Amino acid sequence: MKKTSEQQIDQSAKFAFSFFVASAGLWLLAAALLAYIAAAKLTDPLFLSSWEFFTYGKIKISQANAFVYGWGGNSIFAVSLWIVARLSQSPVRGTIFLIFAGSMWNLAITFGLLGILDGHMLGHELLEMPKEVWPALFISYLIIAFLILVVFRSRRQSVTIAPQWFIVAALIWFPCLFLFAWNGLEINAGRGTLQSILSMWFGQNIIWLWLTPVALGCAYYIIPSVLNRPIDKYYLAIFGFWCIAGLAPWSVVHHLEGGPVPMWVPAIGTVMSIAMVFPIAVASTNFHATAFKDISRVWNYLPLRFVIFGTLSYTISSYIGVIFSVPAVAKLTQFSIINEFHFNQRVYGFFSMIIFGMVYHILPQVTGKEIGTAAKNFHFWTSALGVFALLLAYLIGGLTHGVLAQQPSLAWINVIESVKPYFLITEFAFLILGFSQLVFVLNLWKVIVPNPFSCCEKNLEQKTA
Amino acid sequence: MNNIFKFAIYIFLTLAFAWLAFFVGAKNQYGDLEPTSQYLEENNSIPKGADLFPQSMPGVAQLGAKEYLSLGCVTCHTQQVRTIDAGFDVERGWGKRPSVPRDYILQKEVLLGHNRVGPDLANIGLRGYTREWLHKHLFNPQILVEGSICQPSPFLYDISNERSSGAINADNKADDNVSTIFIKPSLRANRIVSYLQSLKQDYELPEMSFIETQDEDDTEDIKLAEVGTAKDDQVGLPTWLADQIASGKEIYSKITPGGGMCVACHLPNGLGQPGAIPPLDRSDWVLGDKERLIKISIHGLMGEVVVNEEKYVGVMQGFGQPLGSPLNDQQIADVLTYIRNEWGNSVSAISPEEVKAVRDSEKDRELTAMWTEAELQKENSSD
Repeated sequence: MKKTSEQQIDQSAKFAFSFFVASAGLWLLAAALLAYIAAAKLTDPLFLSSWEFFTYGKIKISQANAFVYGWGGNSIFAVSLWIVARLSQSPVRGTIFLIFAGSMWNLAITFGLLGILDGHMLGHELLEMPKEVWPALFISYLIIAFLILVVFRSRRQSVTIAPQWFIVAALIWFPCLFLFAWNGLEINAGRGTLQSILSMWFGQNIIWLWLTPVALGCAYYIIPSVLNRPIDKYYLAIFGFWCIAGLAPWSVVHHLEGGPVPMWVPAIGTVMSIAMVFPIAVASTNFHATAFKDISRVWNYLPLRFVIFGTLSYTISSYIGVIFSVPAVAKLTQFSIINEFHFNQRVYGFFSMIIFGMVYHILPQVTGKEIGTAAKNFHFWTSALGVFALLLAYLIGGLTHGVLAQQPSLAWINVIESVKPYFLITEFAFLILGFSQLVFVLNLWKVIVPNPFSCCEKNLEQKTA
Repeated sequence: MNNIFKFAIYIFLTLAFAWLAFFVGAKNQYGDLEPTSQYLEENNSIPKGADLFPQSMPGVAQLGAKEYLSLGCVTCHTQQVRTIDAGFDVERGWGKRPSVPRDYILQKEVLLGHNRVGPDLANIGLRGYTREWLHKHLFNPQILVEGSICQPSPFLYDISNERSSGAINADNKADDNVSTIFIKPSLRANRIVSYLQSLKQDYELPEMSFIETQDEDDTEDIKLAEVGTAKDDQVGLPTWLADQIASGKEIYSKITPGGGMCVACHLPNGLGQPGAIPPLDRSDWVLGDKERLIKISIHGLMGEVVVNEEKYVGVMQGFGQPLGSPLNDQQIADVLTYIRNEWGNSVSAISPEEVKAVRDSEKDRELTAMWTEAELQKENSSD
């Protein structure tokens, strides 16, 4: 009985889930291509330089947007929809509206990115897409989030668990964040550096309160469900959740340290960033204490291997992030390419790895088709290698950059000369990552898009048999 | 947690409190800043007739800000000088003082940025780059700064192989006759350059005054010690020379009219900038022929020069020029004596009479006609 109801839910989610995953995959490829172009332009400034379309700043910014809204947004919709439906034991409704809103979302991002490349970007972090596309993005988001919350409302059990808190909270956070930022940046625009505070607040919170909680929710879902054992010290999870909810919105402004804003703004940010050790410790204890009880199962079940890679990366690099928010260290690293380390560890090392795992976990259940083990393994190892190379290069390069910039007698060009080798490494890392993401998308498409010849092959097999 | 509406309200509130503090709170604190004068009266009122700062950018610069934004320059360049405790920006010569919120109130696009792959630009307008230099840098940064990874923007320029009026020589070869690349800036390029030149925080505000960097303080201490102990010390300088050097140092460092503004380009450490501004410290030109040095300081120098076997391309304005307030013979002698005896340099002083002699011998030359290296070499060898 339970089995059939799960299958019914999977069946109801199949079309919408496949749609979102497929579009997320395409955006991931677009972002990978843009990331490679940007990295290549840093090692050779003359690369593609005669076309204004390919100016480094535009490419870099459209890459971040394609990644966060295209890949991040679509994959958030996909996994939230499925996890919420499964946990609520309630089927997905309004697939047609989901597909409609999803197409609108993708179309709006496409126009937004073209707008950026055409020179109409706004000056706010991760709000760079032109004004005109935001209403479409916002409305399509509301439709999708509403339909997911409808599933959540019709759940069988009234008691909620950790994955639901994180995912539902993330779904609600994004529109609130957007409205606050839009109000302060466009409607009642504040003068001068008020804009900078708000833009920093929005841009960092998108990562902390939208991508991060969804990934954490996925981990809270998949670890106990695959290992078939409860989360270790589960009573801490609620504390961890409210810590993130309470601290993250305050902690993100520490990047303004020493800048032309009132001193209390970065001071609060620094204190709250240091306090973030609590939620990081909670999540890390919950995940790893549970996973390491049955590490062989984690290693052998590839989706879980992806997820644990993500949670380990989250733990390690969040602690590094805390260290870098201490003023004495921030003085060195504040404006260096350490910022790239933070961004990339969060979106590649943590968020993407967990989403890869979730997709590999869900897709066979939804479509009933398995993905080849060798292809998945190849994807895992190239991803891991690419992420390692990328993050190490940005970390060591960032420290070099920061420490050398500290020497006033050293000409700036000499500082950059010393960082150049690390840019070269990142170029290769992005190449590896792009390759591994291509494999990922091919894996997906083989399963999702019906092969026109498959029926004939079956017939053929039957005939030969 | 189990009621979605209650939960949604809590989630909303977590953000709302932070937003109230960071936006509403901050807006109440400093959202109504206005331009003010450099110094206030005792009762905190603005003195009558005083200039108010910050001043709004010229219209063309405001258009340039939009171009700067649309090209995404903010990805690599910040526009903020951090406080002394938080960073090394003032020491690096990126500003005379930390930036304060008031500096930005008249800017429509506030582009603080948070990555420095390129240098900070909050005071780029103070570093003495000519329009021509900035255009060349926009066109192709690598011809001015070797090894730069800044993006070239050739699409902002009309490129031709022949010299025409208003075109800039953008070849590696400084000589116009040999050069094969001439660029004509488009409207957009001119806007960006005007914007860059308008970026300067060169005024003091009641809340923030200029900061002397550690570097300058140190050398000043040493200098004072030398002058103070001149009489007891065998190697001490004679008073007239110490006076000349002290006056020269003041002219060298002064950026307002009446000063030489040398420090803006050659920097307090006298090292200049690779590829663009030749060093003064241990420079064969500064330590060498006096006449050549005096000529350059009166009429200026343009084009390519080779200093200490390194090539530099740029323009230096002459300080005998009638523009603004020209330096007189005594002042030129002082500042040249200073640079010949500062940092690692220590050679003979230059007297006002020597300056006058050169001025008289070149009195047919227009004061705005800058020297080129070729001219100076020729005269030298014919002597």
